[in-house]
Amino acid sequence: MKTFAQKAIERASGVDGVVPGQIVDVYPDLYMSHTASWRCIRTLEKMGVTELYAPDRIAMVMDHIAPAMTAKNAADHKLCREFAQRMGIRHFWDVNAGIAHIVLMENGLIRPGQFVIGTDSHSTIYGALGAFGTGVGFSEITAAWVTGKLWAKVPESVRIEISGTLPPGTYAKDVMLRLIGDLGADGLTYCSAEFAGSYTEAIGVSERMTFCNLAMEMGAKNAYVQPDPVTLRYLDDVGVSRSSYEVLVPDEGAVYRDVIAVDGSALAPQVSVPHAVDNVVPVDDVAGTRLDQVFIGSCANAKYDDLQIAARVLAGHRVAPGVRLIVTPASAQVMSRASASGVLGTLIEAGAMITNPGCGACAGNGGVMADGERTLSTANRNFRGRMGSYESEIFLGSPATAAASAIRGVITNPAELMTGVPA
Amino acid sequence: MAEKILARASGRRSVEPGEIVVANVDRLLMHDLSGYLTSQVYDREVNLPVRYPERVVMVFDHHFSPPTERQADVLGVNRAWARKHAINLLDCGSGNLHHAAVRSGFIQPGMIVVGSDSHTPVHGALGALGVALGNDSHAGTVLPYGKAWFKVPKTVRIEVSGTPLPGASARDVALWLVARIGEGELNYAALEFAGPYVKGLPFWDRWLFPLLCVDLGAKCAYVEPDEVTEAFVQTLPGGPASLDRLERGDSDGREADTVLRFDAGEVGPQVACPPTVGNVRPAAGVAGTPVQWAELGGHGGGRLEDIAAAARVLEGRRVHPDVRFNIVPSSREVFAEAARTGLVLALHEAGATWFPPSTGSNQAYNMGALAVGEAMVSTHARNFPGRNGSPDAEMYLASAATVAASAVAGTITEPQEVAA
Repeated sequence: MKTFAQKAIERASGVDGVVPGQIVDVYPDLYMSHTASWRCIRTLEKMGVTELYAPDRIAMVMDHIAPAMTAKNAADHKLCREFAQRMGIRHFWDVNAGIAHIVLMENGLIRPGQFVIGTDSHSTIYGALGAFGTGVGFSEITAAWVTGKLWAKVPESVRIEISGTLPPGTYAKDVMLRLIGDLGADGLTYCSAEFAGSYTEAIGVSERMTFCNLAMEMGAKNAYVQPDPVTLRYLDDVGVSRSSYEVLVPDEGAVYRDVIAVDGSALAPQVSVPHAVDNVVPVDDVAGTRLDQVFIGSCANAKYDDLQIAARVLAGHRVAPGVRLIVTPASAQVMSRASASGVLGTLIEAGAMITNPGCGACAGNGGVMADGERTLSTANRNFRGRMGSYESEIFLGSPATAAASAIRGVITNPAELMTGVPA
Repeated sequence: MAEKILARASGRRSVEPGEIVVANVDRLLMHDLSGYLTSQVYDREVNLPVRYPERVVMVFDHHFSPPTERQADVLGVNRAWARKHAINLLDCGSGNLHHAAVRSGFIQPGMIVVGSDSHTPVHGALGALGVALGNDSHAGTVLPYGKAWFKVPKTVRIEVSGTPLPGASARDVALWLVARIGEGELNYAALEFAGPYVKGLPFWDRWLFPLLCVDLGAKCAYVEPDEVTEAFVQTLPGGPASLDRLERGDSDGREADTVLRFDAGEVGPQVACPPTVGNVRPAAGVAGTPVQWAELGGHGGGRLEDIAAAARVLEGRRVHPDVRFNIVPSSREVFAEAARTGLVLALHEAGATWFPPSTGSNQAYNMGALAVGEAMVSTHARNFPGRNGSPDAEMYLASAATVAASAVAGTITEPQEVAA
């Protein structure tokens, strides 16, 4: 009786019968690194390493600082670009591609059952496609480039069963914020978070990405949604053949540290208030809080459907005077869909500033705040000073909450603006 | 025209070249950088109420999305100052300073428009008298009294005739003129652009001629208002009411001290090469130079015309894998129009990347830094070494069609080469 995590680590390590707490060497299927890959490259240069274990398992995406704002940034990008070319790294995406996690999933690099490491804590997102994804440091990635392996401790698993239909104005983001608020930032430390239940089965891959992405904010080692017809259709659409992966599912009777039940129908829109992600309150508790900026972006909530929801709320409205609305599509593909469907036009007409795809303001690349300013963001972190001044504040919410708040200029329950808006 | 506008604004019947007059200023344009410097000096040294706050606008176009706390603070201080003095503010994403000001209906023919930006004379395209002043002049006289002093410039009329060669546009003719006349050759002159070629251009193509005023060293430049100007002004918010201010010269060039005549008939695609705007060569002469960056944007680029020209070149083609092609709409209105007409989708699908309406990579405040050995070809107005990141990077200036063709080829390429 094994959990998903046990099965994924067995597969990646070749060791049978692993148990939680056991440490084994795994051979990851993919090593993702972002803009700061230049650190790994410089380290290899210093050590005189010229051979890589498996260039095809390396995926590099220039997403955090894109495009360059300083000659140093430009030189770092150039170093990565030239290294990729020299070493035959095919999976290289430049400053115009978008956020690494989303780009890799849209391009069919993430498959069920894989073990994926990434130099970004939100690498747990790959669980949305049934892969074991986890964040590591640049030293680990550098070592994996050369040796192909990395140690991993087998995590315990926690099963989160979400049922019911969400009320109008409430979305996957709100479910996660409530959960983070209830369990705390250390609630799932080093656990494999398995999302299940009728709501999880009913939602698309994009919302599952939001789940798995935010699992990190409870300390999860990885996250997981069991692949189902929704997953397989997504993989078909991005050109992944069904013979190229093996779906791993937990056994009946697998052992869980906890099983948590969430009734979605009892939820309302939620907001993380400064300065911790697990500082969560219902939106009505902070409604009316004046805002300077609203940011719709990040690997948590800047996918196509996130922009679509924001556009539906904003259609026919204007951003409140004195408020800046920044929209950063997660990827070039999201930008394509948004410009083809009219979502982009609606956002521009409403007064949004559309930036190039990438991490944008979430990683401090743009949208930085001055003293005393306040942003409501759809990202996944609101730590003090993350978006500029130590004396600024970040609130986190869903794209609908962000759009409604941009219209009013104050934190607003989106349900108030959603009469007649399609769900 | 310059004399007439200065005479009226200084309350005189007429003025003569060389005279110094004090004139009422109709518009003061500042961007986030110059606005910051001006506002700081103003509060420290002058500290009076702004006399005509409705005549002043600040546009955030260099820091359109600040990546540092220092930059965020500059914008924060600017916003607070704009509120305190009740001046107009166009915040991040509104567009390039001059384009956003025109598109919002802030500039009208016959006005005296001053600003710290050296390309302020571009408003001569509307028949306004645009003059670049220093930040301290704004703080010292324009903000507290609504006035500034001007030495009346002598007028040089530049007549352009002929039809340029295939692949060439108004941008190429403008660059070619800088080389033909010479950088700094027309110091302190008022330039009147005329002749059948210029008068036959639509408004946004005329725009490119007063734009190069600063490169020639001139004080101001304009195209005399005519039916094209009138029709354009009608499309602006609050437009029709201002037509009575259209100021026409005698239109036969008699008031000009000098008349320079040029035939654009042999002009093909041009490229301004490093290190200055006047280092203009036929594009064919630098064809094959590798570029890693291409950009539509800046004072002279990012117009709907540029975006459409690029889309024509890229139709059925893709941006070269070694090139990043940035598109920076000149204003929110242009971006919205490009989204409506499918240009955003078409160029994105061809491999270009869209950026917020702003001044884009100009001076690389928020984007556009280049590494050692990299090169960018763009529609920008300046190409000085070190302006965009490394001093060992190169900037080439060209038309939108040449920029797009180069983005496809990966090397500087004449547009007709790609089309063939």
